Amino acid sequence: MAEQGHRSIIPSRFRGSRATEERFAYMLLAPVVILVGGLILVPVTGTFIKSFYRDVAFLPPVKFIGVLNYKRLLSDIHFLQSTLFTVLFAIAAVLFETVLGMFYAVVINEKFRLRGLMRAIVLIPWAIPTIISAKTWSLIYNFNYGLLNYVFTHLHLSSHPINWLGTSASAFFSIVIADVWKTAPFMAILFLAGLQSVPRELYEAAEVDGASLSKQFFRITLPLLRPVIVIALVFRTIDSLRIFDLIYVLTGGGPGGSTSSVSIYGFKSYILGDFGYGSTVSVFTFLLIFLFTVFYLKAGRFSEGLKL
Amino acid sequence: MTDKRKKQLLVWIGSGVIALICPTPFIWMIVVSFAKYPDFLASEKIPYIFTLKNYIQIITTHDLHVMDYFKNSLIVAIIVVFVTITIASFAGYAVSRIKFRGKTVIILGILAVSMFPQISIVGYLFKFMTQIRWINTYQALVFPYIAWVLPLSLWILIGYFMQLPSELDEAAMVDGATRMQTLTKIVIPLATPGIFSTALLAFIGSFNEFMFALMLTTDYHARTMPVGIALFEGLHGEIPWGQIMATSAIASVPLVIMTLIFQRYIVQGLTAGAIKG
Repeated sequence: MAEQGHRSIIPSRFRGSRATEERFAYMLLAPVVILVGGLILVPVTGTFIKSFYRDVAFLPPVKFIGVLNYKRLLSDIHFLQSTLFTVLFAIAAVLFETVLGMFYAVVINEKFRLRGLMRAIVLIPWAIPTIISAKTWSLIYNFNYGLLNYVFTHLHLSSHPINWLGTSASAFFSIVIADVWKTAPFMAILFLAGLQSVPRELYEAAEVDGASLSKQFFRITLPLLRPVIVIALVFRTIDSLRIFDLIYVLTGGGPGGSTSSVSIYGFKSYILGDFGYGSTVSVFTFLLIFLFTVFYLKAGRFSEGLKL
Repeated sequence: MTDKRKKQLLVWIGSGVIALICPTPFIWMIVVSFAKYPDFLASEKIPYIFTLKNYIQIITTHDLHVMDYFKNSLIVAIIVVFVTITIASFAGYAVSRIKFRGKTVIILGILAVSMFPQISIVGYLFKFMTQIRWINTYQALVFPYIAWVLPLSLWILIGYFMQLPSELDEAAMVDGATRMQTLTKIVIPLATPGIFSTALLAFIGSFNEFMFALMLTTDYHARTMPVGIALFEGLHGEIPWGQIMATSAIASVPLVIMTLIFQRYIVQGLTAGAIKG
């Protein structure tokens, strides 16, 4: 990747000296580095430092307390519950998204009359802002006049209305469903790009050999898509481990804290004015994401594909 | 049944499933936004009566501030897109065309930054913005948003710039063009479709952002549309679903139409961002 611009045929006098070129490159990069550094790296570092402090609004003084926040974290049952929820949510959501996304992609990759329309329709959930889709889902899940209960009771799938967001198990799946609906299209787009690069001849050859459709999918499509799948999994797992917006609107972390994600939990600490502890929760959230990413990259042998 | 017929059947069934899953909540939003009684499913006695009142109310009732939220969201998103695209193009040009030390470190660093969860930034930002008295202002959102959408924008742009043959700008430089001229006169014009899809994604990213806006704004002076919708309160207590869905529809219909029109560019941008690397 880095070498492309430099099989240069131009004598260097036209390009300026190496040092001038380099200085120019740094100048072009400076705004990005300053903004990303100042507004992301500095706050992240600040948060890390703050995680070793006691800093509660209206209750001065701010005091260095070493790893006390971390000790509190590991014995905080509500935090541990949030961690467990976040991990389970990420696994369930990403799993269903991958399957549904692959299903979308396989369908809209086929040549048929309505393909253009179907490709557009698949993108609708992606285009709707998360908060809006969350609000819409919360209306759909409404106990008294929600669409889902209406459908369920009228199709006799359930004799009585279900309190979708009211029990921990149903709230978990309600959140997963809303999230999968919103994000499967993103997966589908990535997979579609992967599918389009699979040579048609492979399938033709397989057909000649009499391989069934499912065999073609599992023996040709899936193995060839592996790199794309790994990248999609990394992207989506990172994203679902930091889930916030959807839960904030759907359940606010309830009932009884059972659907509180680590981001929701950290946010609540901030809102309560406990910046030291909130920072500790945030650091932990990042660690969680980092661990998962490393795991994927190792398991997916991702680095082989990343030629920088 | 032959495999070909089987495949055809599967594709049609699949299309049916997609047509059922993907648009339904969106359509439901529109249906409720036009309902006089949004709880019309509660019992047979409540009829569905079509009305425009929800839309009229959110547009004309100033105390709901819906139009303020839209204005704020648009202003913030437009500034963010403009600045982001400008500086990401500069950086993307440097990365794709010029050889310099530390390139890999910078690229990987910027990519790694997009791994941070927002929660690990927002507490610090809140304290900082409180200190410099920026809470509830546009700039309190604009700067963090730029930093937030920059990594992905840059990543996508690098992908596009790499695709353009460097012989083009090298030829221009032989003819005496400066680096800056090759960027503004050759690379940017040729990469317009790529820049356009990057801008679309940056716009959507900024327009949809929630956590920063929730923490860094306090009322309609700077509050953006997602926060406005999440915290929507009627003037009379009960949840005003009709108004909430009407607001949601006004916000999402343009986005959905834009997505359908520019589908090709968006797909290109998303896949370039994820797969090009």
